[in-house]
Amino acid sequence: MTEQTTHPAPHHAPERLTFTYVPRKGLMKLTIVNFLLSIVTFTIYRFWAKTNVRQHIWSCVHINGEPLEYTGKGSELFMGALYVFLFMVLPIVLIGALIGLVYGPESPLLFVLQMLVIIAVYVFWGFAVYKARKYQLSRTQWRGIRGTLSGSAMTYSLLYFGSLLAKSMSFGWATPVMNTVLQEQITNDMRFGDAAFKFKGRAGPLYPTYAACWFLSLVAIIVAIVAIGGSIGLEKLFGGEGSTTTPETYAVLAGFAIVGFLLLTALIVPMLWSLYIARELRTFADYTRFDGAQFNLDASAGSIIWLSVVNIFILIFTLGIGWPYINQRTVRFVIDRLSLEGLIDVDRIRQSQVPLDKRGEGLADAFDVGGL
Amino acid sequence: MAIEAVFFDGEYARDRAITLDVQGNDLVFSGQDVPQTRWSISGLHPVDPPSPGQPFRITHHSKPGARLVIRDEAFVHRLVAEHKHLKGGYSWTHLKQVAVWTAGGILAIAALGYVLVSFLPQRVAFVLPETWRDRVGGQVVDGLVGKAKRCNTPAGDSAKSAMIAALAEGNTDLPPLSMEVYDMDLVNAFAAPGGKIIFTKGILAKADGPDEIAGVLAHEIGHVAHRHPETQLVRLTGIQVLISVMSGTNGGDFTSNVAALAALLRYSRDAEREADTYARQTMDKANINPMGLRTFFEKMIKDEGGAAPAAKDSSALDTLGNVFSTHPGTEDRIKQITPLPDGRTPAQVLTPEQWKSLQSICG
Repeated sequence: MTEQTTHPAPHHAPERLTFTYVPRKGLMKLTIVNFLLSIVTFTIYRFWAKTNVRQHIWSCVHINGEPLEYTGKGSELFMGALYVFLFMVLPIVLIGALIGLVYGPESPLLFVLQMLVIIAVYVFWGFAVYKARKYQLSRTQWRGIRGTLSGSAMTYSLLYFGSLLAKSMSFGWATPVMNTVLQEQITNDMRFGDAAFKFKGRAGPLYPTYAACWFLSLVAIIVAIVAIGGSIGLEKLFGGEGSTTTPETYAVLAGFAIVGFLLLTALIVPMLWSLYIARELRTFADYTRFDGAQFNLDASAGSIIWLSVVNIFILIFTLGIGWPYINQRTVRFVIDRLSLEGLIDVDRIRQSQVPLDKRGEGLADAFDVGGL
Repeated sequence: MAIEAVFFDGEYARDRAITLDVQGNDLVFSGQDVPQTRWSISGLHPVDPPSPGQPFRITHHSKPGARLVIRDEAFVHRLVAEHKHLKGGYSWTHLKQVAVWTAGGILAIAALGYVLVSFLPQRVAFVLPETWRDRVGGQVVDGLVGKAKRCNTPAGDSAKSAMIAALAEGNTDLPPLSMEVYDMDLVNAFAAPGGKIIFTKGILAKADGPDEIAGVLAHEIGHVAHRHPETQLVRLTGIQVLISVMSGTNGGDFTSNVAALAALLRYSRDAEREADTYARQTMDKANINPMGLRTFFEKMIKDEGGAAPAAKDSSALDTLGNVFSTHPGTEDRIKQITPLPDGRTPAQVLTPEQWKSLQSICG
């Protein structure tokens, strides 16, 4: 087929794309039926549950009035998980059992095996992330055209592993640079049909916010330690001989101190860091172009905190059963704030020629990094 | 009644305006740059269930990449009312597929469980190298006796040898074994991997004569001959694999846990029966009075009715259960033990002096 035969009619004019989330009924029913079927099938249904929730949420995302479509299948996710189980998990477990049986549970070989598994998990983490993203993109259609990642998962994986090393060795200070490099790598591999996404930009502008968050967290932790330690110390100092404080009281105080410290680190520090996360999201959106148009994501630290806090409450109060609502809220968060500035000649975009993977996100499922 | 709709061909993102109508059992549509196309309604498949305010999208098996998008709600309503399969949502094929995978998954786990827990253990137990049996047997014994002292006196040791020799009389196929006594008050005996048979001081004190201990020893040799301790250890590894496979954890470290060791040596009823049978045949061939085993058996059962003997040196052996563990069928097991046939005089297992030095081996 040539261009001429498929394009006999005149083009529409290039258009501006707008994203809207149009909720539809049925998520409650899905949530309940998914939960019941998961129990009946000893959790095997989770692959189909994940799939039909994605189908629902995707179909609520409208771009210029035309919904997205999720074309993945539960059986694909199931086969992906089965594949990882049979060829990775089971052999490792069996080898471990064999070593334990033959050389005893204290054998250093068992330790070596554990170390190898941990290293393998770190090395392949990026691989899992990339493959999961590729699967989801290739199962996402808009106007009959699907997305994909056209690059190498192994390259991304090595880069990812390197970024983990760089981040930990620099006490976190390499994070903005490494995140930018990773985002650049994966975004430049992203396609919608034959149209490409482009990522271009420097990590520099992220550093002021990063530095602020880094030092504020440090200060918060030091203040917490000093305040808690100080209050116990003062009690000891001025309580004197006549003090009624018993060792039990100290134990209670120490308990409070630890709980307070944990609360502080679990609440205040992530709240501080949401400043950086918002900054990174906005910056990365600015750096991303699709077919010449520039993205914009209007995310603020406050909105991220609100999203996370409500999500955590949903998770806790529904005992995890409400996870589809968490996914919905997260997608909606992005869609409500996302815009694309510039005109796109949609009619010209052709179907992707990248072949579809047969299995979905097995490794990501095993590592629990599958995203939605 | 033709309506306006939109067609995507799955090749280009371009939307193509079409007019669409139902003709008999087909949907027929065409547009400015879409040639007239006929899709059978039975071959249609809804992308999502129809939902108010949302465009209704359908596809056809002849062109899975193509999409028809209908926004005319009255038309959609009529179409779906007449053709229920366009309603989408849960379908029988979907549920059947899930049921098949679930059944398959459960069957696979069950098969794996059967292989690991039932089929493999005893077969593996018989091919384990001697060095392994010896080392692991030592670890099991250490775990179970704790800090208790091993008792050895020259006279006691020779009494042990004499008892083993008495059982070996007429039994050339006795497996290699060792018999040790530990300074513990509780009443018990067990066999560990590698033919290591352990008696407590308590069980020797409880016995009223060497025949009783010879009977217990014969029973334990039965466990050794059938490789029951090794089998249980392999089985435990299998259970560990099964748990880690199902839970996604490492399955916990059983073998370093004393309670698990004790559970390990709690045999099934079948294993106890095998050991009983072995003991009866061995005593018969060696011409040893089986009634010793029976009396001892009965004595233990009577004790279990009352308070368990207080164990100062409380250890894993408490949880191990004793030689004649209390599962149902114990009465049957006792009844199976019958005296030697008429006319055969039982041999003397130990001389009174030997018996005395065995009983006092721990001082």
